[in-house]
Amino acid sequence: MQLSPKNTIILEAKGLTRRFGGLVAVNNVSFAVNQHEIFGLIGPNGAGKTTLFNLITALIPFSSGELIYEGKVISQLKPHQIAGLGIARTFQNIRLFGELSALDNVIIARHLHTKSNIVTGILGLPLATREEENSRQKALELLELIGLSDRTEEKAKNFAYGDQRRLEIARALALEPQILLLDEPAAGMNNNEKHQLSEFIRDLRDRLNLTIILIEHHVPLVMGLCDRIAVLHFGQLIALGEPSVVRNDPAVIEAYLGD
Amino acid sequence: MNDFFSTYGSLIVSMVLGSLVGLSLYLPLMTGQLSLASPGFYALGGYIAAILSTKVFISKSNLFPIHFLLLEMLIAGIISGLLGIAVGIPALRLRGIYLAIATIAFVEVLRVISLNLDITGGAVGIFGIPQPFENQIEYLWIALPLLIISMVLFYRLERIRVGRAFLAIREDELAAGAMGINPTYYKVLAFTLGSILAGMVGAISAHFLNTWNARQGTFDASIIYLTFVLIGGSRSFLGAVLGGMVFTALPEVLRNLADTGGLPDWLSHFLRDGRLIIFGLLIVIGTIFFPQGLVTPDLFKKLTKVKRS
Repeated sequence: MQLSPKNTIILEAKGLTRRFGGLVAVNNVSFAVNQHEIFGLIGPNGAGKTTLFNLITALIPFSSGELIYEGKVISQLKPHQIAGLGIARTFQNIRLFGELSALDNVIIARHLHTKSNIVTGILGLPLATREEENSRQKALELLELIGLSDRTEEKAKNFAYGDQRRLEIARALALEPQILLLDEPAAGMNNNEKHQLSEFIRDLRDRLNLTIILIEHHVPLVMGLCDRIAVLHFGQLIALGEPSVVRNDPAVIEAYLGD
Repeated sequence: MNDFFSTYGSLIVSMVLGSLVGLSLYLPLMTGQLSLASPGFYALGGYIAAILSTKVFISKSNLFPIHFLLLEMLIAGIISGLLGIAVGIPALRLRGIYLAIATIAFVEVLRVISLNLDITGGAVGIFGIPQPFENQIEYLWIALPLLIISMVLFYRLERIRVGRAFLAIREDELAAGAMGINPTYYKVLAFTLGSILAGMVGAISAHFLNTWNARQGTFDASIIYLTFVLIGGSRSFLGAVLGGMVFTALPEVLRNLADTGGLPDWLSHFLRDGRLIIFGLLIVIGTIFFPQGLVTPDLFKKLTKVKRS
């Protein structure tokens, strides 16, 4: 059962460019991501994949170009406003709130779905208390989903690498996003874990009706999981299409194997 | 008992006021912002109370009416808060050491202004600020409830949405933004709350000290208040409270130590007058060996575990 028509564009990049001094990290990149799609972003190291994520989530401003989300230009927004639109992300170099518990990490991401201010919160008025309880419940559900429900009070920095990556996903999901950007979610996992993660991501997409954009180095995982793949090389988009097409693209083969 | 209070009354009140100042510095630190602006707002609050009580709220009774003091605290809090917003919005665009420098500059600007205005008494300051109590120890009637209320508020704050937003920004501002938290808003909020508290404490202190001048808000004060939180504990409001108490009492303890006799002259001199040197050393040593201060959230977890087992 497919609720949304497969070819509704949810996010579109038009000529995105970002220069760092003389280096063009992302060079005139244009693509469109369809609703309910798992969209892969691959490329050799330094191709500009993470920079592209940072541009989409407004962590760094772009030098030129335009970003369109659900038909609206979102180029001038701040990171928290992008999150408010329903675009959530994880980070390549894990950025959890290390000194805080796993539970608090996820509850913090319920920020936009709660409204209590400093007065109603401190006084513990019924609305604020109910909100707190809801956030807690929701966060516990998400921790259950990623299989960390028995370690909710542990500090995030004490988790193993793979668990931290999963915790980041739970935190991003707490935003109830439309689009989920995953930056190398399988990094540091073994093949078995990678396979599980791949199942998990597909399941998430179907269950929560998400659109997922993911950066990943592990080519088999990307090929098996993604509906379409974009290949970046030195900041430029050199191929875009279904896995079978991209795999046989001469430019891609050259980028990966060298000349 | 009366003897005890007449000897140590002033020190006990100073300790409570010190812990309140510590809390005012701890608030911006909750969002990870090292602001040294507290002495500026403290001085401002003191001037507001001093001017109001000597020029506006003239009372014929022997003791200054307490409701006027409360009103002064309210006014000092409001004005400090408004100035806090005005200063915080531009200043909090800076980070780390640059914010610290900017807030030191802010304190200096206020100091120089107060030195040169007629209404603040210039270099002489304001004398004969009326007393609402007969004994200094009775200031606890104002200071202690303020401390207890503040501590309850801090306890609650760490457990609600706004407080968690503060902590998220402290842990990782970038990630907090990506989770939908507006870092600028919450940093300015924490800074403003801190300035309100500092202003209110200043208003009490002006009466307590009986005189108020430009020496109240100086760079020295910034360093001393910084010791309160850095050594007391920058990750738990109890650290700021305890730090404020201990480090307010420390110079007095050292002075007593110096007076015990039998010490070489240079040592007793140092103990009496080397307060800033000692505080400076403590900051250096503390940041190396106790980067989160002596009182940390983990310490409480350990203590409660020991009790249960």
